[in-house]
Amino acid sequence: MRHALLATAVAGLAALAAAVLENDFYLRILFNIGIYFLCAAGMNVLLGFAGQKSLGQAGLFAAGAYGAALLTTSALDLGPWLALLLAVGIAAGCGVLIAVPSLRVRGPSLAMVTLAFGIVTEKLVTEAEIFGGAMGIYAIKPLTFAGVPLEMVQWVWLVVALGLGLHLLLRNLLTGRYGRAFLSLQADEVAAAAVGVAVHRTKVLAFVIAAATCGLAGALVAQQNQYINSDFITFHLSIFILLLVLFGGAGSFAGPLLGAVTLTVVSALVARWAWIEHFVQGALLLFALYVMPKGLAGVLGGLLRRARGAEAPRRAGVPGLDAVLPRRPDAPAPGTSLLEASRLNKAYGGVRPAREISLSLEAGQIHALIGPNGAGKSTLINMLSGVVRPDSGRIAFRGQALEGVAPHAVCARGIARTFQNLRLFRELSVRDNVLLGQHARMRNGFWSSLLGLPPAWRAERAAAARVEEILRFLGLAALAGQPAGALPYGLQRRVELARALATEPHLLLLDEPAAGLNPQETAELGQLLLRIRAQGITLLLVEHHMDLVMGISDHVTVLDYGAVIAEGTPAQVQADPRVMAAYLGTEEAAEAPPAPRLAVGA
Amino acid sequence: MLATLLQALVSGLAIGGVYALLALSFSITFTTTRTLNFAQGEFIGVGAFLGVTLLYLLAPGEGGSFSALAPVAAEGGRYPVAAAAAGAALGALGLLLFLAAIRPFAGKPGMSWVMSTIGFGIILQSLGLAVWGPAPVNMPSPFGDGVIRLGGAGVRPQEVAVLVVAVLLMLALDITLRRTRLGKAMRAVAHDPAVAALMGIPVTAIMLGAFALSSALAGLGGVLVAPIASASLFMGMGIALKAFSGAILGGLDNPRGCIFGGFALGLLESGVALWQAQWREIAVFLIIILVLAIRPNGIFGRRALDKV
Repeated sequence: MRHALLATAVAGLAALAAAVLENDFYLRILFNIGIYFLCAAGMNVLLGFAGQKSLGQAGLFAAGAYGAALLTTSALDLGPWLALLLAVGIAAGCGVLIAVPSLRVRGPSLAMVTLAFGIVTEKLVTEAEIFGGAMGIYAIKPLTFAGVPLEMVQWVWLVVALGLGLHLLLRNLLTGRYGRAFLSLQADEVAAAAVGVAVHRTKVLAFVIAAATCGLAGALVAQQNQYINSDFITFHLSIFILLLVLFGGAGSFAGPLLGAVTLTVVSALVARWAWIEHFVQGALLLFALYVMPKGLAGVLGGLLRRARGAEAPRRAGVPGLDAVLPRRPDAPAPGTSLLEASRLNKAYGGVRPAREISLSLEAGQIHALIGPNGAGKSTLINMLSGVVRPDSGRIAFRGQALEGVAPHAVCARGIARTFQNLRLFRELSVRDNVLLGQHARMRNGFWSSLLGLPPAWRAERAAAARVEEILRFLGLAALAGQPAGALPYGLQRRVELARALATEPHLLLLDEPAAGLNPQETAELGQLLLRIRAQGITLLLVEHHMDLVMGISDHVTVLDYGAVIAEGTPAQVQADPRVMAAYLGTEEAAEAPPAPRLAVGA
Repeated sequence: MLATLLQALVSGLAIGGVYALLALSFSITFTTTRTLNFAQGEFIGVGAFLGVTLLYLLAPGEGGSFSALAPVAAEGGRYPVAAAAAGAALGALGLLLFLAAIRPFAGKPGMSWVMSTIGFGIILQSLGLAVWGPAPVNMPSPFGDGVIRLGGAGVRPQEVAVLVVAVLLMLALDITLRRTRLGKAMRAVAHDPAVAALMGIPVTAIMLGAFALSSALAGLGGVLVAPIASASLFMGMGIALKAFSGAILGGLDNPRGCIFGGFALGLLESGVALWQAQWREIAVFLIIILVLAIRPNGIFGRRALDKV
């Protein structure tokens, strides 16, 4: 609420300044600040939150500008307000277009593809007849109020109002479920999918938001000037939009405004000489990267924080034994079959980490998966969680086929996992990490989150309450505010467990949960896993600590060279000669099928 | 008809040679440092202008004005000297680029080096604009502007020269990368800089060398291509983008794939230009996006397995 008042006050001041200013030059600077703020606010979602670099925003600016131009000047002859609205839609559509490659390519190739998109648009509007070529399009209808075209002051008021509205809407969106989902993409896409974030859809959404705001800005510029040509659409505009966010502070709410104000004013000061303007732009870009990686907002925030400062706790509290984990209503009855995998195969070239693996998990039990290094345990976990697709074989979870289902959908069905090499969202707080686990359990959609409707904040509050309960269950409540990456290793493992539990799973897959833990922590983990089972959650754990496995498991499966060589109760497995052979390499190893030679020959 | 096709083939191979050379230059830095120079386009433009300036200075009085050098200015071994000097100067600039824009950010999350090399390029271009101005200038070819008749097709000797030089350079680089200790060291650095350093490989020197080499190729490419088109500070962006497209088409981590991709792109471009000249950029990039949608790591690229 305080934030909304502050933002409104800033916007009010800007509107007041516009009313007082007579000079057209200053009004135009205010208008440009507003325009660049619109671009930056959307770009901040894409770059600062979702962590996707787009070097082609000028193309989306063009989509909006030329959209508005053509809709009002062509035979369609639409009214200016409707054209503005449709232009935003067109730009959003182009945003989908630019997002599609991002689903397949990543890293530098993606940056180049977006760059190419901007360049192609620039070529297109320069060359093609329909866009008026270098001459451009004249006589674009300006926006009107009561039939009279807007004056410069009114244009400023309009962009201020739009900027304020956009800021408040995006803040609603970004402080909740969607903001966390965007941040999870930036941190680790595999982990994001594992906690139920639909990676592709969320990424496209971020691109579309950035595209729509850039298109809005473009359409407003075209309508205000009543003229657009290809000189507006340059590579430098794309870079400038990125720079607005980087300089202001990517991922902060104040960043876009700080960036828009500073850079518009600086540009206006040096605009007389084209090469100096570009030089300053390049220099500011390098300056921002070297000196203030979190932008102006980061510098200001750092000053504020230094004034406060407090010692953060580094130890877990006592687990709340009375805490109850949140569960889905349709929990399977103990003793029934939960998951049936049959004849799973997977090969990477000549290496076959899974051959004809069949596995059956019973609800309410702790299953363990053991075997020497390279036996294919992690591959099996990856196949069950949808990260790796089996070459052949079937997986049925509660009677439904699971092979070929995307990781986030596997999570939605009720299978959660942790990773052998921790995959926490290190920059996010412990609480946000665990809240991300709730992502797929929350039902507030995009529009209700954007508009901040009651269902959205009710869902947020309910999720927060469930997360507190989970943190209490694990004794992490005191650490909730700290960045997950700052915690000691053992606690990070426990945070990952909390995050997996927050997806309210029926089946929890744990890939070496005790790796790197000391004996004391391992014993505590064993108690914890028993308590999780007592809550009715089925566990499948991959583990090397034999005392842990033998102490808590109801059922043990032994893998070697990608095949199941034994299974049964801990006692049965311990007595099995093939298991001894696999682990200790006795002379019976030669007889133990399949022989290692086959693994290479396949 | 046949003559037109032949002509398109030769000019496609010539420009493809430039793309291939520059695609290789991207591959060289990518395979050693996992980073690229996003300012390669500006490097090409500056290389071309350095070449023109050198020709102008080497032929005092007889070459005519700076913006329209007479063909005589490129004669008498001046062109190769200018090309070598521009390559060397840009190579030195590549060292600066590595130290200023790559090293502080390489290996850190967020790919800040993309932005820092772009910033470096913008600064470079703005300085170029301050010195040389925005107008394009003509660069004479050492072989004159005459046209060789080749089975009915008119081929410019500079195009043949570009192709020959590019192929010779690529052969030399290919042998270096595959057959020498240096090439092995570069691959080791690419694989794991920390382990390479433990094995006694001077990692920083290798990375510096990769950037110097890559930037030198950009400068050389600018001087090679300028007589075909004309020298402009803005010419490099399109060339670099297409070279990069060639590189991702062939697979960034596969030098031979990059060479193939570069040539393929040049031929594709001149093929599309036969049909509709102004659509060639758009057609080329659409095809690239299509290829990436099917094979994200290029035709000859290895699939990077993300171990979970």
